[in-house]
Amino acid sequence: MVSPVVLLAVPLGLALCVPLVGMASRKAAGFVPVAASLFNLVVSVGLLPDALEEPIVANLGGFAPPFAITLFAGPVGVLLSALVALAGLAVSLYALSYISEGPTIRYHTLYTLLLVGATGVVLTGDVFNLFVFFEILCISSYALVAYVGDRAGTEASIKYLIQGALGSALLLIGIGLLYGLFGTLNMADIAARMGSVDPGPVFVAMVLIITGLGVEAAIFPLNAWLPDAHSSAPSSISAMLSGIAIEVGLYAVVRMVFTVFGASSMLMFLVFMGLLTLLVGELCAFAQSNIKRMLAYSSIGQMGLIVFALALATVHSVTGGLFQLVSHTLSKALLFLAVGYMVYRSGSMEISSLEGMGRRMPLTSFAFTVGAFSLVGLPPFIGFPSKFLIVRSALAEQGVLLQVLVGLLLAATVVEGAYFLRVIQTVYFKKGRQQEARREAPAVALFSMFVFVVLIVVIGVYPNLISNALESGASELLERADYVRSVLG
Amino acid sequence: MSFLHDYVYYIGAFGLVAVGLLILLVKRNLIKLIIGLSILDTGVNMLLISVGYITGGTAPIFSRPGLSEGGMVDPVPQALVLTAIVIGVAILALALGLAVRFYKNCGTLDLRTAKELKW
Amino acid sequence: MRLAVGLILLAVIGVGIAVSLGGIPFGAPKTVIGDHYVDSARDDTGATNVVTSVVVGYRAFDTLGEVTVLFVAALGLGAVLAAAGGGGGRSGVEPASLILRVGNAFLFPLILLFGAYIFSHGHLTPGGGFQGGAIIASAFLLVYLSSPGKRISATRARATESLSGLVFVVVGLLGLTLGAHNFLANFLPKGVPNTLFSAGIIPVVYCAIGLKVGSELAGVVDGLMEETG
Repeated sequence: MVSPVVLLAVPLGLALCVPLVGMASRKAAGFVPVAASLFNLVVSVGLLPDALEEPIVANLGGFAPPFAITLFAGPVGVLLSALVALAGLAVSLYALSYISEGPTIRYHTLYTLLLVGATGVVLTGDVFNLFVFFEILCISSYALVAYVGDRAGTEASIKYLIQGALGSALLLIGIGLLYGLFGTLNMADIAARMGSVDPGPVFVAMVLIITGLGVEAAIFPLNAWLPDAHSSAPSSISAMLSGIAIEVGLYAVVRMVFTVFGASSMLMFLVFMGLLTLLVGELCAFAQSNIKRMLAYSSIGQMGLIVFALALATVHSVTGGLFQLVSHTLSKALLFLAVGYMVYRSGSMEISSLEGMGRRMPLTSFAFTVGAFSLVGLPPFIGFPSKFLIVRSALAEQGVLLQVLVGLLLAATVVEGAYFLRVIQTVYFKKGRQQEARREAPAVALFSMFVFVVLIVVIGVYPNLISNALESGASELLERADYVRSVLG
Repeated sequence: MSFLHDYVYYIGAFGLVAVGLLILLVKRNLIKLIIGLSILDTGVNMLLISVGYITGGTAPIFSRPGLSEGGMVDPVPQALVLTAIVIGVAILALALGLAVRFYKNCGTLDLRTAKELKW
Repeated sequence: MRLAVGLILLAVIGVGIAVSLGGIPFGAPKTVIGDHYVDSARDDTGATNVVTSVVVGYRAFDTLGEVTVLFVAALGLGAVLAAAGGGGGRSGVEPASLILRVGNAFLFPLILLFGAYIFSHGHLTPGGGFQGGAIIASAFLLVYLSSPGKRISATRARATESLSGLVFVVVGLLGLTLGAHNFLANFLPKGVPNTLFSAGIIPVVYCAIGLKVGSELAGVVDGLMEETG
């Protein structure tokens, strides 16, 4: 059995090699992220059967916990790392043709390091290590948002950087307070000692940490940077940001709240914040005329839905939340990849400029339609079982309040359907102004889009393929005592 | 008064954090914002280090054979701050590069002009 | 208006941090892992500087992450400045004064030597790879200030950066295959404490970090100087 540390060490080594490869050949540099994500995908899928039985704990440096940094490769960790690798592989193939100008070698290095950062956040079992890998993820995304040299990209990146740096300073204060209160940095050790300290100071540390991580997880009201950043970045990076970075940020919040702090008091507050985020996101998306901005607001809304599901804290709702997370990654990444080439060919990001795309780029428009229907939650796509699971688990709870909340959730879904159908109507049923010939996206880009389409359809029809793994993941997140026992023995 | 004397490091560190936060929330000039970020990082690092102090302790280095383990301060916050300083420098370097590019694109350092992306 | 909102937010955060710091008395021993590190550092890692044994021994993975963060920032800076359309060169700068030029010729090798001393003695005295690397980068800054036209070779700097980073990762992977079969575990002999060739992999890792950080920060300074003239 391989140690889970190779999921981090090998892509890091490959990322360090990209400048060297790039000195030999510029084109070859683009294949290194493909190799790194393929390696990660193969190893993660290989580790999954073992991780589902018993979480794999790796103590780095050969020392005993809590004196060493531990990597905790449980069901959630390995599943998310496989998801990161899968999305990373598809988008890196897409980038082979999409990223052709500018400092491409640096793009590919930064991209590989973004994957390393995301994988590190989901696998770590140490609070300060979480901070370090979280910073790797954030800083590489600040640089990649500004990759296109125009004014919008620079503005978006600066706003993202300042808000993100503010968040990470608060996160660091929280971690410092946590160390001062508990004397240790290991997540399991802190969880085990949680009862021995006054709850007041711990609450402050928790709020600071959630705020710091929440900037990246796009919880309302910390998400002011998101619409600008996701719409001004190159589309492959928008796919990665919406599909991976905010999910991983959300995972970090959930891990801290559920496992380290065990805070049942925060959960109702998070349920409300999640629903508020969902409503704000979907309503703002409806009002947009720029397609990438619309997709960005939709990401905010979906994150709210996932927070809502996870904060209900029953096994079924957490399973639904994790399922929705997977479904959002696949659907949103597909949408951004499709939109990337549609915007490139039409020359503008306005929805009205996409008229007639259905005829000019039929395969790409089909991929966009699949992604849109999946996100709204129509069968037979993956969005349907995930949303259904969330609604059913929320209704199973007692209380009129939850019935009202579910009603608002369904209303938000209707709004979502409305704005996506508006785009699809423009793409297929409006006549394009210029009668241009059929010119599809390049083959490599189509291939990566169809990887997503196939996965969306297959998992949508057979959700049992991953629902077992997701249920183990849900119980891992909720069972604190098991987590502590696996790490500390 | 003795409270002030005992906690002077915490108060000083929090003062730096407060100044940094205030600059970030109020100022509009990009360079001032970056300086505010730097002050905020310094304050946070100072706070982390003060958490690790043990009264009467000396630096955790066994430079002479006679030093005992009991009289040393906590080495862990120092290691954490080493990492945090480097991460702060990294963010600052990237922010300055973006400031240079912003100035080239817009001709001014006032963030108020960054209104191209709105609702 | 913004000032008022800022002050209110600050007051809330201040009260919160004060409440929390109330639970952390200043100067009281409150660590669980710190005592273990101070007690066992010399036996486990062989280094006499306990902070170094924490940074490169017990929590070496964090240091790997830190090195990566600096790498990301240097790359990001290069990408941002490259997309901004390169610099106009530094033709408008007036030549440096006599003191600066002569001083640089005298000081440059001394500063490099001092930086190398700092990163190679990281396990014995306060210091280490990052500090030594920063000193080396300041030596290059002095060169740029005193000779406005001089440039270090960008390819050599990037090659040094990548190769020294790879040394760190390879040392870690070697720990996985040899030694204690764990990533970044020690597999070299620990030697006699307080001598230069002791502490296993720590001097090797710190030398690699020192070279990496030095070439990286010199590249960052180079990029910014080229941009602004």
